[in-house]
Amino acid sequence: MEDNETGFNLETPKVGIIRGVLAKDIEIVGEKVVNLRICARPYRNTYSVAQLRTIKDVIEKYGSGKVHMSPRHNLEVPEVKQKELDNALKDLYIAGLFPGGAGTSVRNIFTCPDWCSKSLRPVQEIGMMVSTNFGDKDMHNKVTISFAGCYNSCSRPHNSDIGIIAIGRVEELPGKKCPEDCLDCIKSCSFEAIEKVDGDIRINEKCIYCCKCVEACGHNKLKVTETGFKVLIGGREGSKVVFGTTYADFVNEFEVLEIVDRALSNYESKARLKPGDRKKKERLGDVANRLGLESFMT
Amino acid sequence: MDTPGIISTKHKNRVALRIRSIEPHSSELTGEQLGIIADIAEKYGSGTVHVTPRQTIEIPDIEQSLITEVTGILGSVGLYPGSSDRFLRNIIACSRWCLYNVAPLSDFTQKLNKIYKDKVLPGKTIISLSGCDFSCVRSKTSDIGVIARAEIEITDKKCKQCSLCIKEPLGCQVDAITITDEGVLIDTERCIRCGFCTNVCRPDSIRVKSRSFDLFIGGSGGIKPKEAQFYKNVSSEDEVVQEINKLLDKYLSVAESGERIRDVTERLGL
Repeated sequence: MEDNETGFNLETPKVGIIRGVLAKDIEIVGEKVVNLRICARPYRNTYSVAQLRTIKDVIEKYGSGKVHMSPRHNLEVPEVKQKELDNALKDLYIAGLFPGGAGTSVRNIFTCPDWCSKSLRPVQEIGMMVSTNFGDKDMHNKVTISFAGCYNSCSRPHNSDIGIIAIGRVEELPGKKCPEDCLDCIKSCSFEAIEKVDGDIRINEKCIYCCKCVEACGHNKLKVTETGFKVLIGGREGSKVVFGTTYADFVNEFEVLEIVDRALSNYESKARLKPGDRKKKERLGDVANRLGLESFMT
Repeated sequence: MDTPGIISTKHKNRVALRIRSIEPHSSELTGEQLGIIADIAEKYGSGTVHVTPRQTIEIPDIEQSLITEVTGILGSVGLYPGSSDRFLRNIIACSRWCLYNVAPLSDFTQKLNKIYKDKVLPGKTIISLSGCDFSCVRSKTSDIGVIARAEIEITDKKCKQCSLCIKEPLGCQVDAITITDEGVLIDTERCIRCGFCTNVCRPDSIRVKSRSFDLFIGGSGGIKPKEAQFYKNVSSEDEVVQEINKLLDKYLSVAESGERIRDVTERLGL
């Protein structure tokens, strides 16, 4: 396929027509080549050295010698021959790598690494728990679940069907005097939630508990007293961008698991066909927006 | 801030190194590169690597003093540290093997990554290129997002009513096509201009007329997420490069330190 008119060059890496992604259902149309999207199980957002070497062997032996990094921690092995697929899957299986994160299922859980200096509360463990319980579960449509260890939201919880962000309550340490001319915390706040009254720091109700002020304060005046998770429901990304709405604040790991379980089972029972669509059902966020968050979750 | 790609961690004196692939491909790794990354993670790091959402690899727990040694080894296979702080972040593209993309953008992305390697800007800036409207790489919440479009046309070749273009798995993903006795009808409101249906049409009744790129600017994720606004439609890759050049120059000249493109567009308007 070349388009001379626009100068567009399609040096066709498209091998026949392949099903771009592949999970439990291995479906091949046209040329007998598939793309293999893999993730580590039990869930990790990291890959070990042994796994990297296995992937290296697999892409050199069965694939095209390349691996694509997807934006959800998956690595994609393109152009695996259909008849060698079983061997490739077996090699990967031995190293703890499984196909997954595609189709109408719960996609690969998305977390940030715990060693990040900004992380308020570790999320890798809870990500693993959610992945063990709900990972690759069949749903009506794609469901994305993301965990972020701080409000910087590298893993995009705002744009996920279920997004979880670690948050913290900030308090001023008594005793120490704040320097008169220092406005670091006020400048760092994106929500105008900090005021300085007579040299004292006041945090008002606009605070979203992101704790960026604690990071900015060079005088050890502010302290995180309590951490927890914020749960956002109903976001999505893609053709249409919707940001999730807050369902709960300051919940712990067990409550997060319970909320995820409830959201998924409610979605299972309350979803219906997309308006005007013949086969596809609504996404979790559409159901939540149609029914209202409260009635969706009860 | 001084060196790209160094990320402080919770451990003192130990840092994570964020690396990205520029040669031979962007957003893809070759077997050789994977091998080198594995060796380095084993020798200098803690034996694991993290795959980030922006198609970079992070090797945690590297001793700060050994960074230059590590980057030297990585440089020999086309892997460079980067994509942190105010260096222009790694430009990402969707998979070149995906069925849905109008055109594979990987090579174009590599070209862009080469041009803007180690460019320092006033604030964090991310550029994402999607091959279709689904924008897996999140073009619509990037500072500059590019989405490839295919304008399709119905030709006078007769439709054979095979209905491949509406059936799973290769049919229209958004149900924009109806087959009538006269031929195919396309609902322009539903159509996302991905050109996917043209792949399966054997009598060539549906055909790609022209390809173009939509540019979106001013989106962001993070603390205050915002959807990007549609900016312009351009018809070729060169024009995309020109537009991005223009936008970045403008951003460099008007932005205050720390401001992102979204802040500038909010302050000044598009």
